[in-house]
Amino acid sequence: MQAALADLSAGLEILLTFETIAWVIVGSILGIILGALPGLTATMGLALMLPVSFYLPTATGMALLLSVYTGAVSGASIPAILLGIPGNPNALATVEDGYKMSQNGQAGLALGGAALASLIGGFISLILLCLFAPLLAKATLAFGPAEKFMLALLGMSIIAAISGNNLMKGLSVAALGLALSIIGTDPFTNSARMPFPELFAATPLQSGIKLIPALIGFFGISQALYDLDRLRQGSLKVPQVSLKNPFPSMRKLGQMWRLTTESSLIGTIIGAIPGTGASIAVFLSYERAKQLTSKVGSKLGKVGTGKIEGVFAPEVANNAVTGGALIPVLTLAIPGDAATAVLLGALLIKGVVPGHELFTNDLPLVYAIFGAMGLSLIAMFVFQLIGIRIFPKVLEVPPLYLIPIIILLSYAGTYAIDGQASLVATFNMGVACILGVLGYLLKKADYPISPLVLGLILGPMLEQNFRLAVKLGQGNYFTFLEQPIVLVMLAIVIATFIGPRIIARAKS
Amino acid sequence: MNYLTHIVAAASLIFVGATANAQTWPDEEKVVTVIVPYSAGGGTDSVIRPLIEELKNHLPARVQVVNIGGAGSSQGTNELLTRDADGYTLLAAGTHTIGATMQGLTAGYNDMDHIVGLNWDPFIIAVLKERDYDTLPELVEAAKNDPGAICLGNAGMGGATGVASVAINLKFDGVFNVTPFQGGQNLRADVLGGRCQVGIFSQSEILANSEALTPLAILYSEESALEDLKDVPTLEELGLGELSVPGGSYKSIAVRAGAPDEAIDALIEAFEKAFNSESYQQFMAEKGLIPAYSSGDDTTAYYNTLIDGFEPILREAGLYKAE
Repeated sequence: MQAALADLSAGLEILLTFETIAWVIVGSILGIILGALPGLTATMGLALMLPVSFYLPTATGMALLLSVYTGAVSGASIPAILLGIPGNPNALATVEDGYKMSQNGQAGLALGGAALASLIGGFISLILLCLFAPLLAKATLAFGPAEKFMLALLGMSIIAAISGNNLMKGLSVAALGLALSIIGTDPFTNSARMPFPELFAATPLQSGIKLIPALIGFFGISQALYDLDRLRQGSLKVPQVSLKNPFPSMRKLGQMWRLTTESSLIGTIIGAIPGTGASIAVFLSYERAKQLTSKVGSKLGKVGTGKIEGVFAPEVANNAVTGGALIPVLTLAIPGDAATAVLLGALLIKGVVPGHELFTNDLPLVYAIFGAMGLSLIAMFVFQLIGIRIFPKVLEVPPLYLIPIIILLSYAGTYAIDGQASLVATFNMGVACILGVLGYLLKKADYPISPLVLGLILGPMLEQNFRLAVKLGQGNYFTFLEQPIVLVMLAIVIATFIGPRIIARAKS
Repeated sequence: MNYLTHIVAAASLIFVGATANAQTWPDEEKVVTVIVPYSAGGGTDSVIRPLIEELKNHLPARVQVVNIGGAGSSQGTNELLTRDADGYTLLAAGTHTIGATMQGLTAGYNDMDHIVGLNWDPFIIAVLKERDYDTLPELVEAAKNDPGAICLGNAGMGGATGVASVAINLKFDGVFNVTPFQGGQNLRADVLGGRCQVGIFSQSEILANSEALTPLAILYSEESALEDLKDVPTLEELGLGELSVPGGSYKSIAVRAGAPDEAIDALIEAFEKAFNSESYQQFMAEKGLIPAYSSGDDTTAYYNTLIDGFEPILREAGLYKAE
């Protein structure tokens, strides 16, 4: 106990310096801005600040990176709420209710609620990280290809939920997303897999269609094109923003306890599973919130109709992912997602090898990293609140200017991600443009876009893990039925697909 | 006399001009970019960065490291091949470049000139401690008794671990279930999680998991330079000397073919100083990297012997796509 306290105080000593706090502030502001600009992601913000962190002490460098990370995760909600465009995948599920709230004149409440939700979700996951890091690390080792495949399949089953009333349309765009995800190189033989390989094998198409240009195309550019269309009809409406009550009332928060707790758990657990990221967590928590709020007799506002509950759940979850994603990074040196892969890189470059040894030999550093995350969450909340007064001004820019700015930012963001590889970056701009037009056409034909993105995200995970599981099972396709965790997950997948239909039939 | 003075003056002017010319590379206003074709923090990145830190002391221009990962190492390699052949863009090349080129994803080594060869990071073949076999011959015996039942994992078919695992399997009549994982992290997780029996790892991966893994053999021709891994037997010591597999990952520095000689000369000079610096030598010793310095044509000749060694393995495994 005494030793633990000594380690804790040593950790805080490393952390609580003027230098560290100054970098936390810089990182947080930068993170929120990067997160808020459509297309610029947490990963990119981290990659930008990685070289700076090399020159700082390990704990300070991690504090800077964690601030950028948590800032970018929560900052993504700002354009999602105000413009209906998620800044990055973290806000994919915030769009639905957030944008509706903003159109109903509740932008202030949505933004304030999102900031508060991010703070709560972040802190709950931080507590879970501190408590369960070693335990959950053991559980992730039990997660093999078969389990990861089932998890991806579970993610795919969400398509049914996010497709709205038209399941066939949802499934067909998801299939398109899967087809797009196959382009690139074969994960087993590394040989080119694309149309006309003799022409394209040595082009950037060899890395496939990258997620970020695709997201920017589908959400940024296609939305701008869509709005352009409406501009000609003269019907683009700028929602009114009221900043009277930026937070939900205490009573409301009390009513949402279950939604908050479950979203935090969903975020932390999904975050802790390698390969999964915020995009799955936000959809899962959003779906769960939908179930919770549509129960008969629930006092909560129905998610999907522009209620704070629909913003709270995914925003709690996406910041809870940050704490969860650090668990495998610190215990197993396995990143939970792309952003934490950069954090892991920063640690390795500093000569810190995460794992059992880190927890036994360098506990002060572990505590300093935990503390850094706490600091970064507080900074994120403060600057997000200050930002509420500034960001709605974006909406006051006339659409005539705003639409070109969105397109400009979308292209700038696409380019910047691989800015040092000009060939790849230019190619990605083309991808964003083509997929933007495709997204626009799909929207015009009333097809949902989210299942397509889900297919694109989960496609590689499904394919690689399916093939690996069968390979490890020596070609036995029934290998999935022989493992207990997989069977349980399979049952959940089937229940998600069939359950709602059985219930609906029973009711009728 | 006067005439002669003029000639001497003119000659010396030319000479001064020539030497001044020799010193014009690099242009101090320009940036020398070193492309690492993998993400930051990976194995290649961690070997190259400390060297580049030293290089900064020996080149008057600004030097930056850029990580361009994707498609094995092909994406970063292709980026080099789109840049001007002026010596201002370098590539962290090596055994990974051979795999990527032979798989037809980049013109790769056919369109580059080597500046220097650096070092080898030896591979170690390892299994979980609780396995029934704790020597390589025992493992091979177990695999022969139940062909296809034992997974031999690598970090991806494009890289050197992939080629090494294919080579081992070919030598033992295909008794192993050679399985490519997406990167070392996934390979580690599935070997530590007990789903894949055998993995090919770098020394640092073994050291980080020394409590869980039993190293069976070092694939490099010499014993490990690291105290903790010194007792791991070489293939020769195990009586498997005829087994010729890529013994590790080799790292080198290359430019796009056609760079001016003055650039190549200046780079060789600067890299030699950086390589021989106390800090980089100490870094290699600490990490157990085996120094294999060479420069210019010597590196190219050495690299060609590696290419010749890889080709039959990739062809036999059906992975050779470049024509």
